[in-house]
Amino acid sequence: MGVTVLQQFPVPENKTGTYVIEMLSKRILALGATQQGQFLVDCESYLSHPQMGTTKTVHILHNSEQPASVFSILESGNKNIHVIADGLFDLFMIKLSQHYTSKKQTKIESKGPRFELGDFCIKLGSVTMNQSFKGILIEVEYRPCVTANAVWGLLREFLQGLLGSSTVIQPPQHLKNRMSEIYTPIDTVHQYLELFSAYRKTTALRVQ
Amino acid sequence: MANSVNISIEAPIENQIQEITYDGQEIYLAPLSMSENLARLAQKIDFSKTEDDFIGPAIKKEGEGSSDTKSEDETKDAGYQSSMWPWDSVRTKLRSALTEVCVLSDVLSIAKEKRYMVLDPIPAEQIDNRPMVQVYGRKKALAAAAAVLLAGVERLKASETMRTARNMPDFHIDLLRLRQNWRLKKVSNTIVGDLSYRTAGSKFTQTGVFEVTKASEDSIAHQMSLSAGAGGGAGAAPSALRVTVPPELQGVAFITVLCQKEQEDVVTATLNSSALNCPSTLPGEGAELHWQQKLEAAQNVLFCKELFARLAAEAVQLDASIPHMVVANQIMATVLPGIQLLIGLCHNNGQNNQNNGDGVKSEAQSGAGIGKPEHDHVLEHSLHQLLRAVHHSNTHHPFPHPATGPLGPSKRRCLAGPMAADRYELLDMSKEQSLLEQIIQQAQHFFMRRRAEIVLDTIASKEVKDPLIVSHWNALNSPTQSCVKINIMSQGYDAVCRTSLVVHVGEKTLKCICRDGKVRHMSYELQELRDLIYCQIYQHQMVAVQAVARCMGWQLLASSSHLGSGPVEPLGNASSCLLASPSGDRMIAVRCEPSVGIQVFIAQSPRKDFFVSELVQDKKWEHLGGSFKEIKLERMEGKNFLNKMELLMACLSSPT
Repeated sequence: MGVTVLQQFPVPENKTGTYVIEMLSKRILALGATQQGQFLVDCESYLSHPQMGTTKTVHILHNSEQPASVFSILESGNKNIHVIADGLFDLFMIKLSQHYTSKKQTKIESKGPRFELGDFCIKLGSVTMNQSFKGILIEVEYRPCVTANAVWGLLREFLQGLLGSSTVIQPPQHLKNRMSEIYTPIDTVHQYLELFSAYRKTTALRVQ
Repeated sequence: MANSVNISIEAPIENQIQEITYDGQEIYLAPLSMSENLARLAQKIDFSKTEDDFIGPAIKKEGEGSSDTKSEDETKDAGYQSSMWPWDSVRTKLRSALTEVCVLSDVLSIAKEKRYMVLDPIPAEQIDNRPMVQVYGRKKALAAAAAVLLAGVERLKASETMRTARNMPDFHIDLLRLRQNWRLKKVSNTIVGDLSYRTAGSKFTQTGVFEVTKASEDSIAHQMSLSAGAGGGAGAAPSALRVTVPPELQGVAFITVLCQKEQEDVVTATLNSSALNCPSTLPGEGAELHWQQKLEAAQNVLFCKELFARLAAEAVQLDASIPHMVVANQIMATVLPGIQLLIGLCHNNGQNNQNNGDGVKSEAQSGAGIGKPEHDHVLEHSLHQLLRAVHHSNTHHPFPHPATGPLGPSKRRCLAGPMAADRYELLDMSKEQSLLEQIIQQAQHFFMRRRAEIVLDTIASKEVKDPLIVSHWNALNSPTQSCVKINIMSQGYDAVCRTSLVVHVGEKTLKCICRDGKVRHMSYELQELRDLIYCQIYQHQMVAVQAVARCMGWQLLASSSHLGSGPVEPLGNASSCLLASPSGDRMIAVRCEPSVGIQVFIAQSPRKDFFVSELVQDKKWEHLGGSFKEIKLERMEGKNFLNKMELLMACLSSPT
């Protein structure tokens, strides 16, 4: 498990998402990467029943990189509580459907090809919510390292090389105050959740 | 039609003939329509029949009921013309039923009024209460029952007395004993037991059902006489039980494991491997075994069969670089290049004695020439152990396991979800080593260990005498890893210098950790270990010479463990050192080449052969030191190299 940085890639005007994904794939393959299947990160949100007091939101996320795990993040006030459980947690949420109702129309996912290049693992995901295209997320993982501080420079350089020097690369909000801590898979999930929440607020882009 | 004679060809009659006219014409009945058919069938129903059975003939006689049945009989005879209307009988029956119900309701209403009619309970028919008859009847019945019981008791008593008189074993006690050790159940009239390892976690499909019967008295008596003849204790104890084991589990079975040099080709390998043949006679085979031994043997047969079936399946599934072979009751696998592992199942159930006998004979002949290879008890034992471990893990799931979660996955797999294990870790978890792989690894390790032992022992005992090589094998090791510590030292100088290194013997590789912390990985080719030990020996000698020099007060001027000069060595590099005596006037140079050995040179500094010449005129130049002269070490006095060097240094230090 290494350090992962999730980066949003702006889709240029009059270009479709598939075009951008193809363009980026070509760039990565030109660097000498090999494609290693597909990946999928999805997120579903549940709202607590109003009778239970203040409404809370539970986000259930799956990451194909950790196929046996279900990540759940409970938003309560300004604090996020996360629980990592195994696959049975999905069934558990069905049992809780009396208290937490799923917002089906906000189910959002990012999927696309997955590349490996030496110690790097690059994933190009096109984000869709209800079949409507929302944007492009690029995940870059550097596997041999576990603290973001030590590898941030390297990741920034790699991302700039990949996405073009014009893009400004900032450490993700979630990582900013955890730069010196040991990176865990839940940090990746937090980054996805941040960006997914941002996408949910925006209106849909053009259909690809 | 009357003029000509027609030959008519017609289909067989489908319809009933109503009448035949005098001119021979047949008038058919029109086929029944659906409703007519239904009416006909309804007519045939005898509505009163079930009623009549209950109500009795009294009502039947009443009115139309009986006449109707009669008319029905008539209709059956006369066909359908007689019935005026097809539903007539049904109607009449319904009507009679209605009449009856009306009458009943009238009676009930009258009875309810209690003015004209009162219903009195009819006293039940008086039982014939003549007491004596009853007493006699009961007495007779009791006597009959008692007779049955008494007869049974008599029989039991007779057999019991006979048993005690002849000191025969009790069937029920034996059954109790059997029940304590084996699973039994009663199926109708027979007692059936199960000797399979199902309850212990086995998933083998073959059943291990046996039947328990009572032995006949003759056979018990025979057994008793046999055991008495054997002097008691030696023969099987007589038992009133007889267990019948299915024929495929009879006899004796065992798994043999054999490691042998690989044969030239497969055919000869299979032919020559008759060493795996079973012995034709087994101890105690002729005698009737006690049921406990018999069942244990059968269980062992079942176990061996399961083990072999599993290994054979794995051998076929595994794709090794050199494919494993399964031929008849043998599995062949290549352990290391040139060495084969043979796993065989021997099952002797007394039926194929003839064949085996021949095989053993031929094997005995060939074995006399070649010398029968020893089969490997340790590997056989570990095979059994491995399958037992599989059984155990099938039934024992690691705690704590969730109440709702699936049973079976390992503890690591259970934790994989909450610990967010990634796909590589999960893939790693799903890999499971098969029994065959494990046993091959154990065999590989066995060979590696033995080869390493041989290499170390030959070097230590035959090839190198001078530094002593002591190897300590760890007594406790795992089946696939062991460890040896090697000390190199010279006799009498072990306090001055000793070189130690540790070799980890794995399955196909060796790992050597030297004293300086360097780790060297070696393959299964033992020449590499030999070379390493030789390098270590020469390195030891060089270090030891320097240590002795230090003790003697000599000064180390220079030393190099990797000399660049001289011819290229086939293994390692030449090393050398230069030592100066305490007074500084003598020098010793030691050069060590692994391929040549150790050479020692000396030089002295007021050189004796210094003569003033035209070029070098000053006398002081004699202190420069002269050319080195080689010393013939083998002609020097001393027990070993270090001792010789010590003597040499002592000799050179003396002021003469």
